[in-house]
Amino acid sequence: MLAGSAGLSACQPSSLQHIKGGMIGANHAVGHLLRNPEKLPPPTQTLKTEVLIVGGGVAGLSARRWLWQQGMRDVLLVELADRPGGNAVSGQNAVSAYPWGAHYLPIPDLRNRELLDFLTESQVITGFDAGGLPVYNDYYLCHDPEERLFINGHWQEGLVPEVGISADDKQQIVRFFKLVDELKQAKGRDGRDAFAIPLEGSSTDDRFRQWDAVSFETYLNELQFTSPYLRWFLEYGCKDDYGTTLANTSAWAGLHYFAARKGVAANAEANAVLTWPEGNAFLINQLEEQAKSPIQSNRLIFSVEETDLGVRILSYDVAQKTTIAIQARKVLLATPQFITKNLIKNRVIAGFEYAPWLVANLTVNGLPQSRGMPLCWDNVIYGSPSVGYVTATHQHLKATDRKVITVYWPLVQEPPDVARRKAYQTPYEDWVSVLVADLERAHPGVSDYITTIDCWVWGHGMIAPTPGFIWGEARQKAATAIHNKLYFAHSDLSGISIFEEAFYQGIRAAKEILGQKSSA
Amino acid sequence: MSNPDNRHRHLLLLLSVFVIATCGLIYELVAGTLASYLLGDSVTQFSTIIGVYLFSMGIGSWLSKYLDGNLLKWFIRIEILVGIVGGGSAPLLFVLFEYAASFRLVLYSLVSLTGILVGLEIPLLMRILENQLAFKDLVSRVFTFDYIGALLASLIFPLVLVPYLGLIRTSLFFGLMNVAVAWFLLHQFPETKPYRRSLVTAILLSSFLLIGGFVYAEQIMTYTENLTFQDKVIYSKSTSYQRIVLTANNRELRLFLNGNLQFSSADEYRYHEALVHPALQALPKASRVLVLGGGDGLAVREILKYPHIQSITLVDLDPGMTDLFRRNEVLLKLNNRSLLSPKVQIINTDAYNFVRQDTARYDLIVIDFPDPSNYSIGKLYSTSFYQELNRLIQPGGLAVVQSTSPYIARQSFWCIRNTIAATGFQTIPYHAYVPSFGEWGFILLLRNHHWRGEGPLPKGLRFVNARTIHDMLNFPPDMAEVPTEINKLNNQVLVHYFEDDWTPYAH
Repeated sequence: MLAGSAGLSACQPSSLQHIKGGMIGANHAVGHLLRNPEKLPPPTQTLKTEVLIVGGGVAGLSARRWLWQQGMRDVLLVELADRPGGNAVSGQNAVSAYPWGAHYLPIPDLRNRELLDFLTESQVITGFDAGGLPVYNDYYLCHDPEERLFINGHWQEGLVPEVGISADDKQQIVRFFKLVDELKQAKGRDGRDAFAIPLEGSSTDDRFRQWDAVSFETYLNELQFTSPYLRWFLEYGCKDDYGTTLANTSAWAGLHYFAARKGVAANAEANAVLTWPEGNAFLINQLEEQAKSPIQSNRLIFSVEETDLGVRILSYDVAQKTTIAIQARKVLLATPQFITKNLIKNRVIAGFEYAPWLVANLTVNGLPQSRGMPLCWDNVIYGSPSVGYVTATHQHLKATDRKVITVYWPLVQEPPDVARRKAYQTPYEDWVSVLVADLERAHPGVSDYITTIDCWVWGHGMIAPTPGFIWGEARQKAATAIHNKLYFAHSDLSGISIFEEAFYQGIRAAKEILGQKSSA
Repeated sequence: MSNPDNRHRHLLLLLSVFVIATCGLIYELVAGTLASYLLGDSVTQFSTIIGVYLFSMGIGSWLSKYLDGNLLKWFIRIEILVGIVGGGSAPLLFVLFEYAASFRLVLYSLVSLTGILVGLEIPLLMRILENQLAFKDLVSRVFTFDYIGALLASLIFPLVLVPYLGLIRTSLFFGLMNVAVAWFLLHQFPETKPYRRSLVTAILLSSFLLIGGFVYAEQIMTYTENLTFQDKVIYSKSTSYQRIVLTANNRELRLFLNGNLQFSSADEYRYHEALVHPALQALPKASRVLVLGGGDGLAVREILKYPHIQSITLVDLDPGMTDLFRRNEVLLKLNNRSLLSPKVQIINTDAYNFVRQDTARYDLIVIDFPDPSNYSIGKLYSTSFYQELNRLIQPGGLAVVQSTSPYIARQSFWCIRNTIAATGFQTIPYHAYVPSFGEWGFILLLRNHHWRGEGPLPKGLRFVNARTIHDMLNFPPDMAEVPTEINKLNNQVLVHYFEDDWTPYAH
């Protein structure tokens, strides 16, 4: 197990020495400058803007796009990293582009007009059929074959365990999916869907919301879902979407994963997903291109102070090592709350927990395997601590033996702060050992085929929807604007880390800035 | 065990001469056959293999003078060694062909080693017998048995061994014969008693190895595709994309890509005439043609028969393929030097991305991709792909798609037709009989074009005429249309159909 990697030898086994690569990712040293802001240089000039957006992830870029489309031109976005994207950034090598984080978007619910509009402007939706159903660009819909699971020595099609499981397991799996189907249809007394995306549109009915108070594990125990195969699958879902285990996921959030996706399309099945070799960096590019207001990268915001006219902000240029002051009428902090709380004096924010992740991109000359389903887009190994790998080259139209695969590994074995600290300290060689050992289970001999492994540790990869968090008070409080000057937007304010929520949060905040009414 | 009298001794030893002579020649024949099989050019291979083998036997004979002491023991030891090295040579060479960096070095080393060991045999035997026979009798008898053995080997090798046992088993079987000689002598001669035990162990071990190889010969063969070809391999090359193998017999050339038959020179004209002429006879004013796949230049050869065609763009992924068909004399004859025509532009890139990026317009697009046997190739038969063709076809132009066998892969064929129809093209499905493939299907894609099959055809066609075109349009009930789903990137139904269709025929 990863978290126990301290016990691993720090030196690379000789069989892996041909593998190139290293640790990539956010520059923690820059982030840590925030701890001693007094050491940063004083501002040399002052810049004025109507709206300043801090943070160039999906939420910040969505807000920027919305403001631009509504005619608000005097907007500046500042980003800490060298380019916008947040955890939807991507990389590129000679073989393929590949994601470093978020990598797909399920086709959205027809009621999510704002997202449909964005996808239409991005030419992801190419038109609508006579019945009003969106026609998706075939190149962006995930190509077949989509998913497979390595279980009992065999690659099966689909992720729900089927091969070598007992009749009772099968029966429980059927029962669970019947429940999910009911919950997809279910509506509360307020007429709203029990589970919706954006989740703000979900029913306020206690019948459903009460499940937020208990863990998904407790919920499953109560309904006697005991099958280890079913529970593995459900925990896989929690890990995949939230980076959490059954025990520390809210039951409401656990069900939301299965019961909230209600997309339809003219040319795809209801559960279809959109994906690109570079993952959601495709959507990031679209968001960026659909507005022209300036973006400044490599900027560390280290002071946010309200003034009579608005907000005064100090922005440190990491490359030039100079500081400027920005005087803005309104500031949108599109940053995660663990950053936001350090930016604003006396801000008390509790309950936001973040799951640490490892993401690794492997370039391979082939993937040896024995029997069963051939390589898919999403490939999961039953019982693995990782949540499997996605084939970045899957959407390529040209067949090659060389591929890039992206391994996703939520670090759930220990409490997030412990796992995070360990992850930052784990040397590259140890990551390589555990990654290869995990892959070797389903691909014996794959080590020889791997040419490169690059690793990225996301210390705060995803907001964790722990029991009580989604419908508790913390989210609401953290999202509330201050004195019509400071606004907040981030997927963590929704409690689940998905594109749709970040997109929604960005637009919600932009509307607040413009004094518009929100649609959810 | 009775002490054999001298006569008995002579007979046993001369019998050994007979067996080892047979074995010796067999190893030489196996190496020669294998080399021309794997490397092509049989005259050169046989000639150099025989030369090296005989020269090595000479070295062996010369070295024999350095062997002293217990000559019978030496002889038995050498028999065991010849058995292992000679017997194991064929399986070893087959397996190493795929993996060895320099196969020729391995081949000639093995041939030399076998030759040296075989060269030691006769001189040693003559020395064992030298005090028991008059010199003239010794020479006469040893060489008589030697040459009889050689005759036997040269007759049974082509008539019995290769057809019934195959090269690997032949080589292993004669290895066992050498080991059997060792065992036989060991037990017939009482003076071997002191060292019997250690040699028996060696004999058992080597027999075990050789018998194991004999039993698992099939498995060894599956390690190498080379034995799957019936005919002599005259060219083989692994490019970054595929393994190209060309085989020949007196009647025909066959081209295999990754072990799949692409064409036989005996009847490829039927396939390529059927692919090209039903479309081009309907386009008397056509000047620009795009060919996707078809790096063999055979479709291009047919297209060039229309003098009004001004330019042909050929897109094939593999430069190894197009280079072969631009350089090899035999193949240049076959494609009538079509790829060297100044009208032809060759672009080595993948067809899908080419089609997405190309901005030219063509009067005809000829699509000759491999069958949709995996998910990567399946993408080239999807609605998305056919939609891209829309931009590239001139108004009034056509496209034609090779569409696998409507007889064997009936669902696949009609799935391709239905997929094309779903993208808004009119379609005209047709089929032709190509003996080495069977019944083969094609689909014409058109938009606002009143296609008719009675247009002018170039002179000298051997298969297509107006009557043939008319007949090709008729689908008898066993190939008639079946309803299918549409093949899209996000369902890839065609690959599933294709698997279903071909499973009963997979061996």
